[in-house]
Amino acid sequence: MNWNQLELNPRIAATARRALKSVREVLCVSGPDLQRLTGLSRSDVQQLLAAAAAACRRHPPVPALLLHGGQCRRFESGLRLSVGCPILDRLLRGGLPVGGVTELAGESGAGKTQLALQLCLSVQYPQQHGGLDSGAVYICTEDSFPIRRLQQLIREQSSLRLDVPPSLINRLQFSDHVYIEHAADLDSLQVCLSQRVPLLLARGLVRLLVVDSVAALFRSEFLTDDWLERNKQLLTLSSTLHHLSQEFTTPVLCINQVTHTHLPPSSGLSPALGLAWANQVMVRLMMQRLQGTITRGNQSSSLRRLEVVFAPHLARDGQDAAVWREGVRGTEVSEHITELLL
Amino acid sequence: MLGYVSWRDVLKKLTLAVTMQRPVSSLPLSPGMKLKLVGAGFQSTADLILLKPLQLSKETGLSQQEALEVLQAVRKDGGGGEGSTSLTALELLQKEEETRSIITFSSQLDAALGGGLPVGKTTEICGAPGVGKTQLCLQLAVDVQVPQCFGGVGGQVIYIDTEGSFLLQRVIDVATAAVRHCSLLVEDDEQRAAMMTFTMETILSNIFLVRCHDYVELLAELHLLPDFLSDHPRTRLLVIDSVAFPFRRFDDLSQRTRLLQGLAQQLVAMATRHQVAVVITNQMTTRLQGNQSQLVPALGEGWGHAPTIRLLLQWAGSRRLASIFKSPGNVDATVQYRITSDGFRDADQSEQPQRKRPRTQTDQSASSQPDRRLLRCLSDV
Repeated sequence: MNWNQLELNPRIAATARRALKSVREVLCVSGPDLQRLTGLSRSDVQQLLAAAAAACRRHPPVPALLLHGGQCRRFESGLRLSVGCPILDRLLRGGLPVGGVTELAGESGAGKTQLALQLCLSVQYPQQHGGLDSGAVYICTEDSFPIRRLQQLIREQSSLRLDVPPSLINRLQFSDHVYIEHAADLDSLQVCLSQRVPLLLARGLVRLLVVDSVAALFRSEFLTDDWLERNKQLLTLSSTLHHLSQEFTTPVLCINQVTHTHLPPSSGLSPALGLAWANQVMVRLMMQRLQGTITRGNQSSSLRRLEVVFAPHLARDGQDAAVWREGVRGTEVSEHITELLL
Repeated sequence: MLGYVSWRDVLKKLTLAVTMQRPVSSLPLSPGMKLKLVGAGFQSTADLILLKPLQLSKETGLSQQEALEVLQAVRKDGGGGEGSTSLTALELLQKEEETRSIITFSSQLDAALGGGLPVGKTTEICGAPGVGKTQLCLQLAVDVQVPQCFGGVGGQVIYIDTEGSFLLQRVIDVATAAVRHCSLLVEDDEQRAAMMTFTMETILSNIFLVRCHDYVELLAELHLLPDFLSDHPRTRLLVIDSVAFPFRRFDDLSQRTRLLQGLAQQLVAMATRHQVAVVITNQMTTRLQGNQSQLVPALGEGWGHAPTIRLLLQWAGSRRLASIFKSPGNVDATVQYRITSDGFRDADQSEQPQRKRPRTQTDQSASSQPDRRLLRCLSDV
């Protein structure tokens, strides 16, 4: 922001510019302090404050009804990114919110990465099929990217997405629009998130950001006694993710590990990284592996459950699911019963 | 009766010092001007209030422009321009009784708060993620609009969202449930007429939303808010969800404390001057004491003095509890609540059959209903 852009008497602007570093700084100093720093009179300082405030705020208050009509691009309009399965979408009331950080936590083998890969494909569909008409960027911090599994999912798309015309599925070049990044430590993750990812988002090449996983780096890089430094890094990372999500109205999916704790509400297993991280998350989902298997034709899968732990717009609820060759699907009640008999 | 009278007399004599004269040195003026004023023998605002700029300029050697500034500062401060300089405690009490509170749709919480969330005061809601802070904020944003004939305040709301958690889908759920509930209570023509303008669409059009992406944007918005409140005199609620989010990542903690103090002052000023209830949410953080860790509200000790009422939402097993742990008017209390698909409600409603019973039945069974106040107000009519 520039001093020249302020709607202000040039004399006051020039005086203020000599005493303060930026327009934003005006708002961080109290009125009497401004008078002292700049030597301006009281009414001049009032004008300065009003002009700086008007320049720093992005928009005047907007009636929520205008959002309802989707007339404000900067605001949440109820747009969701479909998971690619109507049963799971029903649990999530349409899918992931497009502005905000969604966390998916679970033990290894619960199916977190499976769901994330599926989202990387469903984001590429046009909006009437639940997608966002754009690609995805997938940041791996743990294992190498499961490229073979992604190829398999792409091949099987037509059997997962029966709602989409096959001609459309054939036309989409799925593997060209998944950008894969590897970040082995926090510094390279920060570089990736502050340089390459904003570029992809700004060009409209991607509209989904997946970090798989956030826990790995923090668990390996910090010992128990430097938790202050850890918290600081954690806040830096989460605010970067939050900023990207809001600035580009892009869903951000963070995969997280779980730890054993005794803290409520879910005693037993709870997502890693503690309260400092949980405070920064808008939607928290958990996936777990249940006892029992479920068969369909010649395939079988162990039963999983996707749970909503918290979200501003969702009830605490869960949905049984299974991982098939074509992807993750919620299980119907009838299927569920046969599984229990097995 | 005698005791009652004397109690009132005592209050009448208790003229509050809130708006009384204050020393010149405490006015928000530049040090040079203050020095000249004091040098000329002006000690308190009472010495200045009746002067004209020209007189003052002659007496003190200030320029006329400066003298005008001094007098503006004095009048603005003392409210002397409007003639009423002080209130007695009795008048203040009557004023407080006139302003209604905002119901929460949980009768137990309303009772604990003495009728709901007080207008003209600041209330902080703290709690762990997912316990229902945002849910209560959204519920209040709808509740403040309940028409007066249903026991509401019929106001508008300004909602400052710093986390991005204001999801329209959820607001529509809560608004639709509130409209449905009130429509079940309609008994007379006034209420029938009020229902015409109490719909999901009007509720959404009375929620003014602001998104702030960092603390500077929040400070900017708060600076401009008094103008908005003057333009929209029906505003009765200001929500900031949350204050903690933009202020959590801060390297210079003394700077943060200073900014938060200023922010708290602005909130109190807006709450009293424009008769709005201010609701802010705060996150929880872990504090280590020895080798024990403890959950406490974030933003430090100093911030704890800012709100008039602090409400702590927490989990107890799978139950949700709301505790009042700072309030000048009410004793500490803990009540249980639920978050349903309709919004913020009392906990024990699930054991009851759905509200199919005829609505004239406003006897004691109503006490377990979520909005006893609405029902009680019906029996008053």
